Amino acid sequence: MGMKTIALAAAAALLAGPALAEDGATLFSQSCAACHQSKGQGIPGAFPALANNKFVQGPPEQVAHVILNGRGGMPKFSGDLTDEQIAAVASYVRGTWGNNSSTVAVSVVTAERNAADLPPPSDGQQAH
Amino acid sequence: MTQPSAFPPTRRMFLEHLAGVGGTPLLLAGMSALGFGIEARAATPPDLSGGAKGKSVVILGAGVAGLTSAYELSKAGYQVTLLEARDRVGGRSYSARKGTVQKELGGETQLCDFDDGYYINAGPWRIPYWHLGYLHYVRTFGVPVELFNNDNDHSYIYYKNGSGPLAGRAVRKQEVAADIRGYAAEILAKQINQGALDETMSKGDRELFLSYLRNEGYLTFKDFKYIGTEGRGPLVNPGAGLNPGVDSQPYALSDILHSKTWATLQSVAGYDQQRTMFQPVGGMDQLPFAFAKHLGPIIRKGHVVEQISQTPEKVTVAYKDAKGHKGVIVADYCIAAIPLSVLKGIDMQVSPAFKQAMSGVSYALVGKIGIQMKRRFWEENHAIYGGHIYYDDPMIGSISLPSTGWMGKKGVVLGYYQFGSSAAQVSAKSHKERLALAVAAGQKVFPEYAENAETAFSIAWHRVPFNLGGWAEWSTEGRKTAYPVLNEPDGRIYLAGEHLSYLTGWQEGGIESAWQQVDKIHKRVSA
Repeated sequence: MGMKTIALAAAAALLAGPALAEDGATLFSQSCAACHQSKGQGIPGAFPALANNKFVQGPPEQVAHVILNGRGGMPKFSGDLTDEQIAAVASYVRGTWGNNSSTVAVSVVTAERNAADLPPPSDGQQAH
Repeated sequence: MTQPSAFPPTRRMFLEHLAGVGGTPLLLAGMSALGFGIEARAATPPDLSGGAKGKSVVILGAGVAGLTSAYELSKAGYQVTLLEARDRVGGRSYSARKGTVQKELGGETQLCDFDDGYYINAGPWRIPYWHLGYLHYVRTFGVPVELFNNDNDHSYIYYKNGSGPLAGRAVRKQEVAADIRGYAAEILAKQINQGALDETMSKGDRELFLSYLRNEGYLTFKDFKYIGTEGRGPLVNPGAGLNPGVDSQPYALSDILHSKTWATLQSVAGYDQQRTMFQPVGGMDQLPFAFAKHLGPIIRKGHVVEQISQTPEKVTVAYKDAKGHKGVIVADYCIAAIPLSVLKGIDMQVSPAFKQAMSGVSYALVGKIGIQMKRRFWEENHAIYGGHIYYDDPMIGSISLPSTGWMGKKGVVLGYYQFGSSAAQVSAKSHKERLALAVAAGQKVFPEYAENAETAFSIAWHRVPFNLGGWAEWSTEGRKTAYPVLNEPDGRIYLAGEHLSYLTGWQEGGIESAWQQVDKIHKRVSA
């Protein structure tokens, strides 16, 4: 239910252009804020801060790679977020809380997804 | 806990491979070469006889691995100190009940207010019959256990992502299981009777296979048709006098296929999910409590480890206690039985390679919620006693019904059990929002759900201080590179825990890892 609503919102946001940042914020609060905290400040010793973060502002390919594949304690989001959603949330994080970096193109995320041979999100079908 | 599917090859898999290529003789030869017999796993702790030579061991973390280490080493005569950061023992072996207080990083602090006697196992909740180490301590301490119902034929599948008349409504698992089995057998039998296997299978084999299919799929004797079976449950139960009951009719094959409900039928078939499963009476923390009772003053609670350093002769652990006082413990050896997610954040004097290996594993994000229900409507109205409701929203995963307090007044239902990014998303919600999510899902299955939900306790393990994750998840690469490094000591520092086993996410992994490490220390001392 939730995921489909988000996907539609993301698609609409992409078409609308300027709404992208806002949608990234929503995605961030849903999928990322539990650990990285609402203002990207993180929790020292547990979850890295994304605010004023060098890695976050680095090459977009690497940022997309980590969101798709996970790293350390972070889960992979390749099965939960579309390339459009990942591009939106990464672009949002790269342009807020003291970060001042370029947006991430959907094509960059798609290229990383293909390079890692990750299937796109499904309907949430799961076998226990 | 459910495991991700991508396991690296285990010893067992290697042996299975041998059996495949060379048959049983090669398999048995392989097992002898690896140093064990048919019953391949250690069922009892290592023999630590011969004296401790006055040596001391400081153990960090009073989870199951730390408690096991402390118990075996102190029994063998070692001077043992066990430091635990929290004011309780058990680590992830944890039950929330009346008065339980749990703080989440970046979240709120919950006070559990279940009625007296009710609890939710917030961490591990079921014990496979082949987890011999765990069962060894159950016997040693006389911890009462009861059966955990991990598979309930009469429970519901609620799958909404499929299509057709069976999607988006609660369907009994036994109906789906009988029908898909019946139809599959019928189709195979039809193919065989039409000659599909005449070229590849002998007549004798074909006849036996047909007999098997008739039996397996409840097929009619003469023409191999599936027309339903009493095993899918009748519409009206048979009874006394003039009531023979009313048979139910099978669903259409196409409806079952499109509902995707069949995806649940393998869910508890894995080796670590098969019957028989157990749970301690009164909560999963009963085993840690039994350890603690035997260890007494060896355990020092409220001691947060700040630094671990070593020389060629000694290990020094610096801590801060609950009153803020700092102190050190000096010992001959250290066993750090702390999750790597936490340990990697502690100032620790080990080699750069060891330090790097500690970051070579990720931890599962896991969320659960226990909801106390005013009455046991799943038993009273639906005849479901324990087991799981399968729900194809990954935010919910499964709704599980308690295997304790049967036919009593109230009960605590596991309202969701989710992993990975779903757990990340749910954990971003407030406790109240999490409960609302769980209740809305449960209401789709049980019309009595919302009106009976009284109070709840939720947990997001990745946000719990001193855990920072549900369990270790090794990649194939990590198993090859980091894992072997961490299984060996760095100087005088040893690690133990479920993360150093091929039983990640299970208490058995922590116990057997502890056995392995105390054995190594004892052999070193005895050498």
